[in-house]
Amino acid sequence: MANLSIIDKLKRSKILDLLQEGKRIDDRALDEPRPLVIDTGVIPHANGSARVRLGDTEIVSGIKVQPDRPFPDMGDKGIFMCTAEILPLAHPSAETGPPQPDVIELARVVDRGIRESGMIDLSQFVLEKDKSVIGLFADSVVTDHDGNLFDACSYAAVAAIITSKIPKWEMKDDIPVLIENQESDAPITTIPISVTMGRIGEFIIVDPNIDEWECLDARITITTNSDGNIVALQKGGSDGFTLEQLVKCSELSITIGKKIREIVKQATEGGK
Amino acid sequence: MGGREANVVLLDENGIRSDGRKVNETRKVTIKAGVLKNANGSAYIEFGGNKILAGVFGPRDVHPKHMSNPDTGILRVRYHMEPFSVGERKKPAPSRREIEISKVIKEALEPAVMLEKFPRTAVDVFLEVLQADGGTRCAALDAASVALADAGIPMRDLVCACASGKAADTLILDVNNEEDQAGQADMPIGYMPNLGKITLLQLDGVLTADEYKKCIELGLEGCKQVYEIQKNALREKYFSSGDKD
Amino acid sequence: MKKFESKKRHVLPGDFITTAPLRLQGNVVLEGKRVIATSIGLSDVSADSVRVIPLTGVYLPKIDDLVIGTIQYIFGNSWFADINSCYQGMLLGQDVFGRGSYPTTSEMKERLDNGDIIYAKIANSDRQREPLISIADQSLGKIDSGELVKISPTKIPRLIGKHGSMIQSIEASTNATITVGQNGVIVVSCDETNGLLKALAAIRMVDEQAHLVNLTDKVKKMLESDGV
Repeated sequence: MANLSIIDKLKRSKILDLLQEGKRIDDRALDEPRPLVIDTGVIPHANGSARVRLGDTEIVSGIKVQPDRPFPDMGDKGIFMCTAEILPLAHPSAETGPPQPDVIELARVVDRGIRESGMIDLSQFVLEKDKSVIGLFADSVVTDHDGNLFDACSYAAVAAIITSKIPKWEMKDDIPVLIENQESDAPITTIPISVTMGRIGEFIIVDPNIDEWECLDARITITTNSDGNIVALQKGGSDGFTLEQLVKCSELSITIGKKIREIVKQATEGGK
Repeated sequence: MGGREANVVLLDENGIRSDGRKVNETRKVTIKAGVLKNANGSAYIEFGGNKILAGVFGPRDVHPKHMSNPDTGILRVRYHMEPFSVGERKKPAPSRREIEISKVIKEALEPAVMLEKFPRTAVDVFLEVLQADGGTRCAALDAASVALADAGIPMRDLVCACASGKAADTLILDVNNEEDQAGQADMPIGYMPNLGKITLLQLDGVLTADEYKKCIELGLEGCKQVYEIQKNALREKYFSSGDKD
Repeated sequence: MKKFESKKRHVLPGDFITTAPLRLQGNVVLEGKRVIATSIGLSDVSADSVRVIPLTGVYLPKIDDLVIGTIQYIFGNSWFADINSCYQGMLLGQDVFGRGSYPTTSEMKERLDNGDIIYAKIANSDRQREPLISIADQSLGKIDSGELVKISPTKIPRLIGKHGSMIQSIEASTNATITVGQNGVIVVSCDETNGLLKALAAIRMVDEQAHLVNLTDKVKKMLESDGV
């Protein structure tokens, strides 16, 4: 997305005024995320899928599972790759063409949050050590942008991965051959949940919507796993945080992460 | 894909196709208008197993400026498939096939849209295939028309589309993925019923001169059926009372 | 014998309206002898003309329209403003500093800077250039405070209401001051936070439900309740 050079002066000062009173422009509390709706199995032909609505932000995530060659130094592990793309129909300033730095950051942060948590047991994806493994690709696309793509894409990818079905392949003459009708659930070890917070002035707000996003001084995305430990984080924006603020953010990411994990669990129960 | 052809019965002795349809029957089509918050106009279509999202922005400023036309607005179309939309994962970057389909859809819509009143602007149509199941360009064109109308772009008519073809020596309506792979001809058609103009036409396969004419006529029947569904989608958004007491 | 339809009808692009030889106004086109709708809307056939009132679409500047814009940049002796259209509004330096004046860029920035909000009138609109806007009138000019909201320009008549009834009832029950631009841009200013949030909710309600019946009652009910 193009960087907006004209910051609406009225909007930022109005947002700050409201924050002084403990309010936000959409009536939420400072530590309140927007309503989260998760539908799974929306792309039946894919191995797994989910559509997430976080407020008015909408993401569709699809999982493709197919045989692949392992990375040279990791012959005993399957492949996991996460991508994210802001579709041009998601926002008037979304561009076509090769991905811009902010989209690349989005994809990599979502990828790291899931990878570093060890969510998928990749050792179960080996068909023949050093030769042939299973690759799981989680591709998320933003269809409607109303702020906080980091969390929305992450929830969509996680829900899609949890409900995905892994086909069975057997090696025959050094080639993986698909065995029909022998799918299994994905080997999940933990459920990583990301929580993104922004700072405007001295206030920390959770799950900024797009109006707030454009006025942030700085932002941070923190991912926790099912044990409540922090597995990944990323700070962004042109300004910084104090140590105190960072500690507060970590606490928020754990408490709010817990609640959202429950929502994800409920939404993905039926899909299994 | 070669090994699968032998196993698929495209047409059985009762004239029923591999997915249970008769030869002149389209798959199930549903369309919803106005599904996105940011786009000026939008539509979502399910055409058989195809799932496609269309978003329109415009008329709006053109960047870079040298692309703008001082006498009229320009139409830009991008047809794009998601990595998870097809059997083998597709890389996100645009393929030559997507670029050609984008052009063909643009040229199917240009006769319908009236952009002379908006010089130096552009109308952008974005078509995203979430799941592909044969006939995506027709389904995408169907969604594009509804999204353009939803955005308030002046149009002489909606453009409707459906493919006809030939399989097992028989002319069929609305070719699905299997029939496209293993059949004898596939002919996507785009049509403006009000003006009687065909604005998209391609052919993959071999037809006699007589089959060609009949195939188009069969395809136009399908187009007209989709036309009604497009109109109902717009009526539902704009004209229904919507109140459920 | 041709009968003139005085009743408004719902139409979609491509729908036939009439074959009567009437003067063509907005959102219709002549195909042979048939007048066809080119937009989703209501067809309006009168004794001498035919048009369609559109229910969707971007704002197209019309002379004498009152609009709210945001200054984007200064170039030459003019400000250029975003007026929520596919064209930018051009405000001449002379409109503010007087005829024959040549203000410097810093003089202009002092009066109106990038990001400032203005209430202006469309002074001239031909498709060859950017439309000219003017703030020369007393009631026009810079808007100092308030929250900026955008709705579909086709819903503005509904937001204003008959003789201003809808907008006045929102202002009365929230103590907000609401400036409405025909280009779909609105500025809401209110001293109390609750009043502001309520006014914004009422405007959003009109934008989402303008085509439904009983809108006036629904808005009234929401304004009278405690929450939004």
